[in-house]
Amino acid sequence: MKVTWISAVLAALFFATTGWASESVQEQRHELMESAKDAAKPIGGMLKGELEFDAATAMESFQVWSDVAAQAGDLFPEGSETGYDTEAKETIWTDRDGFNQQLADFTAAVDGAIEASPQSLDELKIAAGPVFKACKSCHEGYRVEDEN
Amino acid sequence: MKKSITWLAATLLVLALVSWPLSSPLSLSPADLPEHTANPVNGELVFHAGGCTSCHGETLAGGLELKSDYGTFVVPNISPDLATGIGSWTTLDLVNAMMLGTSPDGNHYYPAFPFTSYTRMNVQDVMDLKAYMDTLEPVENDVGPHDLNFPWSLRRGIGLWKLLYLDQGPVLPAGREDPVYERGRYLVESTGHCGECHTPRNLLGGLQTSRWLSGGPNPDGEGGVPNITPHQDGLASWSVADIAYYLESGFTPDFDTVGGSMVKVQEHMALLPDSDRVAIATYLKAIPALP
Repeated sequence: MKVTWISAVLAALFFATTGWASESVQEQRHELMESAKDAAKPIGGMLKGELEFDAATAMESFQVWSDVAAQAGDLFPEGSETGYDTEAKETIWTDRDGFNQQLADFTAAVDGAIEASPQSLDELKIAAGPVFKACKSCHEGYRVEDEN
Repeated sequence: MKKSITWLAATLLVLALVSWPLSSPLSLSPADLPEHTANPVNGELVFHAGGCTSCHGETLAGGLELKSDYGTFVVPNISPDLATGIGSWTTLDLVNAMMLGTSPDGNHYYPAFPFTSYTRMNVQDVMDLKAYMDTLEPVENDVGPHDLNFPWSLRRGIGLWKLLYLDQGPVLPAGREDPVYERGRYLVESTGHCGECHTPRNLLGGLQTSRWLSGGPNPDGEGGVPNITPHQDGLASWSVADIAYYLESGFTPDFDTVGGSMVKVQEHMALLPDSDRVAIATYLKAIPALP
């Protein structure tokens, strides 16, 4: 009886830690990045003149980015350096301070955009600029280049 | 046996004698330069369009080592330092270097320096560029010589290579009515030197212009440089606005970010006027689509 209990607990622990039922942290951060990218599309469309400027849509995207900024820091733990074809670069773990600074810059840029609450295309351009710059800057140092 | 060696030596001697004048470095003389009041403001735009700092460094002090199949090229100091840079150069020296690949002391440059593209520039743009570069900070940095494998270490041989690949004519047929396309052609084919990485090379290291901008191996090593023709394998799904926006912001239509050696190129393109980015995009959407 006792043995059955122990094996049940062990089995539960096994499935919990290997993430059999839940998503891996690599997949979670991949999806988080995808959501940031999808949120960028309507804003990019407006800046390119393909979409009509819409303040509410822009603000929705800013909110998605705000969620991304809040969650990203916890999704790169020790031990998740590889696996699931992650594009995370080893510098995230070898230069954690630098990575954290990038994330702080991104957070500040998104907070600034939300506070600015752009009401015109010109204002949107000014508000979104630092966010895009932060995306790009972090990818340069902390993301593996996918090869063509 | 002895006879055949004599023959071989004789043949090589004849080849050397014949090719010596053919391989002679060309230079312009002061009288060849047009009347032109140099404009450093335009020179700055030329500087960005050429992306000089991508290889020569933010301060232009050089020193970057480019490893290749031919050996290691060391990027020179082109800051206006008198002793270790190009501060002593005349405007004519810069024109000869960029448009003919010839150094002030009359030697060939290796085509790791993309004079094969710059040769198509307007000489006035090069003169403006000189005026702008003269305003920059001199940086003292004595850069060592290239370390190349034989026979590439023989500079004179480049003269023969230039006969094959130094061509001032346009890559694609010129004479379209559209000034936007023509401006794009100028930026892509000459100053921007896009083809140097985005076009495959043949065994001699010459650009295969029949496969213009259809992509190539990454000169930095792994991976490849993308096809930027309007083919399915290239930019077919990108609009003119997408390309122009990418060059301005570094974001693809899918909102991925620019990567690799294109980062610095894009950041320079971002400093050009909007109209130039649209011109580049217009040209890229109009060229032959190649797989």
